[in-house]
Amino acid sequence: MFKSNRSRRLAADILTYVVLCTLAAFCLGPMVWMFLTSLKPEADIVTSQMQYIPTHITFENYVAIWTQSNFPVLITNSLIVTTVTVAICVVTGTLAAYAFSRLVFRGRNNIMLGYLLIRMFPAVMMIIPLYVMMRTVGLVDSRFGLALAYTSFLLPLFVWMLKGFFDAAPKELESAARIDGSTRLGAMVRIVLPLARNGLVASSVFIAIAAWNEFIFALMLTTGQGSRTWPVGLQLMVGEFQLPWGVLAAGGILSILPVMLLFAVVQRAMVQGLTAGAIKG
Amino acid sequence: MRRVSMTSNSRRHPFSSLGEISETRYWVYLLLLPSLLLLFLVVAYPTIYGFVISVREMRLTRPGLNGWVGMKHYISMMSDRVFWISLKNTAIWVAAAVMIEMTLGFIAAVALNRNLPGTRLFGVLILLPYFLPNVVAGHMWALLLDPRLGVINDILVRLGFLSSYKAWFADPNTALAATILVEAWHGFPFFALLFLAGLKGIPEDLYKAAAVDGAGSFTKFKLITVPMLKTVITAAVILRVISLVNSPDLLLVLTGGGPGNSTQVLSLYAFQTAYRDFNFGYAGALSVVMFFILMVFATIYIRLSRITKE
Amino acid sequence: MATLSLKDVRKSYGSVQVLHGIDIELEDGGFLVLLGPSGCGKSTLLNIIAGLDETSSGDIVIGGRSVSNLPPKDRNIAMVFQSYALYPTMSVERNIGFGLEMRGTSVDRRREAVARAADMLQVTHLLDRKPANLSGGQRQRVAMGRAIVRDPDLFLFDEPLSNLDAKLRVEMRTEIKRLHERLGTSIVYVTHDQIEAMTLATKVAVMKGGYIQQLADPRTIYERPANMFVAGFIGSPAMNFLRGRLGRGKSGWQFMAKDICLNLGRSKEKLEEQEVILGVRPEEFKVVHHDIAAAFHGKIDVVEPTGPDTMLTSLIGGQSVIARVGPRFAGRYGDDVSFTVDPTSVNLFDPQTKLRITW
Repeated sequence: MFKSNRSRRLAADILTYVVLCTLAAFCLGPMVWMFLTSLKPEADIVTSQMQYIPTHITFENYVAIWTQSNFPVLITNSLIVTTVTVAICVVTGTLAAYAFSRLVFRGRNNIMLGYLLIRMFPAVMMIIPLYVMMRTVGLVDSRFGLALAYTSFLLPLFVWMLKGFFDAAPKELESAARIDGSTRLGAMVRIVLPLARNGLVASSVFIAIAAWNEFIFALMLTTGQGSRTWPVGLQLMVGEFQLPWGVLAAGGILSILPVMLLFAVVQRAMVQGLTAGAIKG
Repeated sequence: MRRVSMTSNSRRHPFSSLGEISETRYWVYLLLLPSLLLLFLVVAYPTIYGFVISVREMRLTRPGLNGWVGMKHYISMMSDRVFWISLKNTAIWVAAAVMIEMTLGFIAAVALNRNLPGTRLFGVLILLPYFLPNVVAGHMWALLLDPRLGVINDILVRLGFLSSYKAWFADPNTALAATILVEAWHGFPFFALLFLAGLKGIPEDLYKAAAVDGAGSFTKFKLITVPMLKTVITAAVILRVISLVNSPDLLLVLTGGGPGNSTQVLSLYAFQTAYRDFNFGYAGALSVVMFFILMVFATIYIRLSRITKE
Repeated sequence: MATLSLKDVRKSYGSVQVLHGIDIELEDGGFLVLLGPSGCGKSTLLNIIAGLDETSSGDIVIGGRSVSNLPPKDRNIAMVFQSYALYPTMSVERNIGFGLEMRGTSVDRRREAVARAADMLQVTHLLDRKPANLSGGQRQRVAMGRAIVRDPDLFLFDEPLSNLDAKLRVEMRTEIKRLHERLGTSIVYVTHDQIEAMTLATKVAVMKGGYIQQLADPRTIYERPANMFVAGFIGSPAMNFLRGRLGRGKSGWQFMAKDICLNLGRSKEKLEEQEVILGVRPEEFKVVHHDIAAAFHGKIDVVEPTGPDTMLTSLIGGQSVIARVGPRFAGRYGDDVSFTVDPTSVNLFDPQTKLRITW
């Protein structure tokens, strides 16, 4: 079919770019369309003649979602829940990941397997008892309660991801520090944590995104304004107020903005940790 | 017994006593305790409690109804038409989504693995949908496929594939397929990510050796790529199956199980039973059944992870 | 500076015992090499001495003080690791001074001590750099600087030269020997390289399967190995093992096999007529041209000149033998060849127990 290796290679390269461009269009197209929609006035969206490029660019949808709904409150709630979730995971998960990575103890593999098995638990199965429990202790409709519920599936994920990064930091460095006069704690704080800093950031960002995006737990466990997060709020706005498409699109764009930003910053380390964790696990 | 040793040159420091503890064998328990305690509270206890709820009557709307009912929920499940529909839909939904995602993911991984200029950017772009919230992804696709203003309808009509706009999510014949498309869009980057990592782990020499031996592209693919990716493929499939079975988010946003249960799946059914009807007992029983279905996958999963352990 | 004694040190991981009752005494200022193939337990033993790993039973005494229950930081030891284990985020200066920093030494005294150590190892010009910007040999020097700066009771070296290329390895080996002679601190050194063991040690512990096979000075280890494992492990090319019989001849005991008749030259020793294995080092073979005096008769199989000498593989009565002969050896494949051997240089081993027969 092809005369030479060179033309065959060229054809393969062209095919590769065609495939990549198609996939990228498939991935990005919907997002671009949502973005374009968010810039159109409502009249241009519901028009019978499809408008591909907005003729009148407007930011009224963004103004509307921000000023005429409780979107700022929702975003604030989500920020708080996400921060608390990450804080709990970082404090408790870092210690556990360190123990799994560095110390040999009885039952180590079983406990690690247990952390992994939690992934198997249906969210729904956790939600019902958690709802009943939280109602008993008054944590329903509380931002802290929601964050606590998030740790049930994010903490194991965090521990596994971070363990991978700890494993990558040479053990001999720690031995050297201990011989140089550090305690185990000192070696962990001075040597291992600084080395695994990127991993710590990547793992934290990963669970931050997951907490930010979470919908089902939030839907069940929040009942009022006090703790409702943006995915729940946005969903309920659609149902209750027949939210116009443009405003909805603007809300969507606003809420994925932080995700995109965080992802862009630590994308490389996160991908590395995600694949390592998943393949090893 | 190991004793905590205090030496003359250990300085007074806020961490110094904690540091001394870190040299004893109690250290490991101290490290594990916080997370184990937390997970006991938010995972172990609720799980056990979940089993208990499934054999009780618990309806928040009717507080008077309370008490043990044994296997009642499980028995009524057997004659629950919606349960069987959900089970069937779950199987179709998961199998079809995984198949499409795997194919797309593999194509993406192979293309990215050729390391042509610009692939890093493409890699990031292709990964984006995976990090998009389900709520946004759902509404975004609802907009794209809208029966009145959906751009996809418009394109298909213009290209001549459709004679008029179609209500994809309202037609029982296309609703499930449409949700699978959305799920595939959302989930295929996960496969691309893992496959790419797997492909990068295959030594280049193997392909060179095969080429020297006269193997063509297809033979190389069949005899080197697929066997070398085996563990990655199985791990990815099982992880993805678990997350698909477990999360009703996207369907909740897109169709709510309708029209007429045509997109009802187990997780959504259980959630709605709890969230809408407040029938916690029956919802609990449904999720316990889901859990056991997943346990079948779990056993396979553990076996496979044993193989890949260092 | 201190003595080191290990008393019946045992270690098991679960049901797997990796060290079986290790007893070692090292004199003050001694240089102990733990030598053995990978998986023999030598690194575990070193980690136990360092306190990085716990013993299952037994005692470790450094300078008369039992340290078994002390964490590494309180044992007053220093260690050089195979991967050098330099802290990547710190400068060379801080790397070297880290041990002093941890012990609260004042900045001035620290700087002075670091400067002295850096001078001794010729790394003064590197003090401001980060480890990533150093070559392998430089990293090795910095790692050693970090060890000597604290003036510990005991140095531990864990295969310190195995990441270096051949030329640098010889250079650093000399450096370690010089350091030991200058500082006089006791050293425990783990390696699988028998040349390092021979050149550096005052005492060698050859280990295999968690047991010490022989503990002695290098000369004894080389000339009078306790068993066939030690004999085969030390020396390159390895000692030749020849199967044969021990019998009584006219002038005393004789080793006999096909095409071999070696007079051992002694008559009174308590030997028995039995099957034995004769161990001969390659350099003990002397080529002779008048057959009558020769003890070994064979045919040349392979001739390999290495420069300073020639390795000569011959077949003697069906047994293959490697001899190290002079560089100007002129023989070819298929030629007849005869050797003599100084009977005092050979060793006899029991084929069943593999132990050396003393005589």
